[in-house]
Amino acid sequence: MARIGAAATTDRHTGGGLGGGSRGGGGSRGGGASRAGGGSRGGGGSRGGASRAGGGRAGGRRSYRVQRPGYAWLAPAVLVSIGLLYFCLIDTARTSTLDWDGVSPEPTAVGAGNYVELFQDQIFWRALAHCGLYFVVTFSVQTTLGIAFAAMLHSRVRLAALYKVIIFIPVVLAPAIMAPVFRQIFGAHGQLNWVLEHLGLGALTHPWIADSNTSLLVIMALQVWEFTGLTFILYYGAFSQVDPETLEAARLDGAGNFRSLLHIALPSARGTTIALFMLSIIGALKTFDLPFLVTAGGPNYSTEVMSTFIYRQSITLAKVGYGAAASIVLLVLAVGLSILFSRLARRTEASHV
Amino acid sequence: MFEVRGKGKRLTLQVIVTLMAIPYAFPIVVMVQGSFAGQGWGNYEAVLSRPELPLFFRNSIIIAVTTVALVYACTMAAAFAFSKLHVRGKEIIFWMLLACLTLPGAILLPTLFSTTLKLGFYNTYWAVILPLAALQIPFTVLFARTFVDGIPDDLLDAARIDGLRTRQVFRYVILPMSKPIAATIVVLTFVQAWNEYLFPLVLLQEPSTQTITQLPQFFIGQFSQDQTKVLAAAVITAIPEIVVYLSLQKMFERGLAAGALK
Repeated sequence: MARIGAAATTDRHTGGGLGGGSRGGGGSRGGGASRAGGGSRGGGGSRGGASRAGGGRAGGRRSYRVQRPGYAWLAPAVLVSIGLLYFCLIDTARTSTLDWDGVSPEPTAVGAGNYVELFQDQIFWRALAHCGLYFVVTFSVQTTLGIAFAAMLHSRVRLAALYKVIIFIPVVLAPAIMAPVFRQIFGAHGQLNWVLEHLGLGALTHPWIADSNTSLLVIMALQVWEFTGLTFILYYGAFSQVDPETLEAARLDGAGNFRSLLHIALPSARGTTIALFMLSIIGALKTFDLPFLVTAGGPNYSTEVMSTFIYRQSITLAKVGYGAAASIVLLVLAVGLSILFSRLARRTEASHV
Repeated sequence: MFEVRGKGKRLTLQVIVTLMAIPYAFPIVVMVQGSFAGQGWGNYEAVLSRPELPLFFRNSIIIAVTTVALVYACTMAAAFAFSKLHVRGKEIIFWMLLACLTLPGAILLPTLFSTTLKLGFYNTYWAVILPLAALQIPFTVLFARTFVDGIPDDLLDAARIDGLRTRQVFRYVILPMSKPIAATIVVLTFVQAWNEYLFPLVLLQEPSTQTITQLPQFFIGQFSQDQTKVLAAAVITAIPEIVVYLSLQKMFERGLAAGALK
């Protein structure tokens, strides 16, 4: 059995090579034999039904993994996901070199023209800057709030289950459905101003979404409203994993709650923080529903983000080629940043172990 | 975990938590209160008497359920193949899938728009279901593969010796053992599909195919600026989501948290 296990592990590391060899060898038995076959990588890779059936007959005697060809099992996911997404990406890359309104049968090729125009477009740079600011603010605020709620609800507060539900419900609700409510709350005669007046803070009342200085702030606040529930649940779960004896020891050493949180609970939840960091970057680049529905990217492009920019260019203004160029830039950013930060995360992870 | 000693301190903590939680409940209170302003229940009657409401609900249910079924079927089969079957170059395919994890949906818009028009898919459920599933599958395959990796190979070997075919192994060993991850996949995909706004907005243009996320905008057009009825419509669409969440609370929290952690 040990040999079989070894063969199975090797198969994983060599990718397809080992299995290809063993399939070519038909009924060769034993891990050693098939490993030898792995040397002639791709040599016996006939994909015919006959060799597949041959593998099936020998199946009972060898490790499962080495034996069974699984193309058919992979096909639906590959077709739907890789097929559709890569088709769209390639098509978008092609469209990005055209001056096209989406319907005209003869688009004009403009080469890199769309990209040149894009990099000179002030609104594009503002949209990008808004995404950056959006990430920094929402990530720091919702992480802090999530940690605070998780720590407090771990401190034997009464009615903890109720608070948990209140904080988590926004995660479940569609932003699209809440948008009319948000527009009302932050309007010039909205509930926020009403509350401020009744708290004696009448000087602070403000047309929150109509003013281009505060509109992005509103969108970010709404994002935090929506997302805190998730960060809270993640930290709540991570904090339950903390060893109570370590905490007790720290307490005996005179550490207060705040220091225990900072030096014991938070370091043990590093994985959560890193995941949320990544998620917030991608989330900021993806964000669409809130700025589109609450402020429509305005006023005066003050809440324009990458997704609303692409929507405005490709759909509203029917500059499909231009929108596609912006999409490609967004794609490069999203993939580039996630590779960069997962590398960094892995490196800091390694230095901490 | 943390200890707060003394009555005064405990009370202070309770007050702080309450004050911090109020903003989270505030929009919901405003929504419910606003929906009763003016005509009271009359707002709800006006909204419920519109023939579009059940249509929008039906469309959302069809789209969400089909997306969940498609994602679940593709994911479990692919996770089985990635984890337990031999596929040449499967790691390359796996990385090609993972590369799509970060794909913003807006990138697909121009192509989806022109392609669905060309193929006659435009304004059909599939125009929304397929891209939704395509964007969801990389996530779900990632969890499901990790989970299926944890099912010991010996168990599958034993099933083979008992004479089970690959398909039977999948059905009688893999599927029953991966129920916990199935719950995560279903909840995550359902919430995503149900709350999706962008794809239905661009790819579905008629009330007969639109989803509930388009409802507020639709009613803003219908009840020109009668905010109370728009809010009543928002409450009606929010209620099922809250009820389902409350009844499956654990599953929702676990599922959405898993989705966040990737």
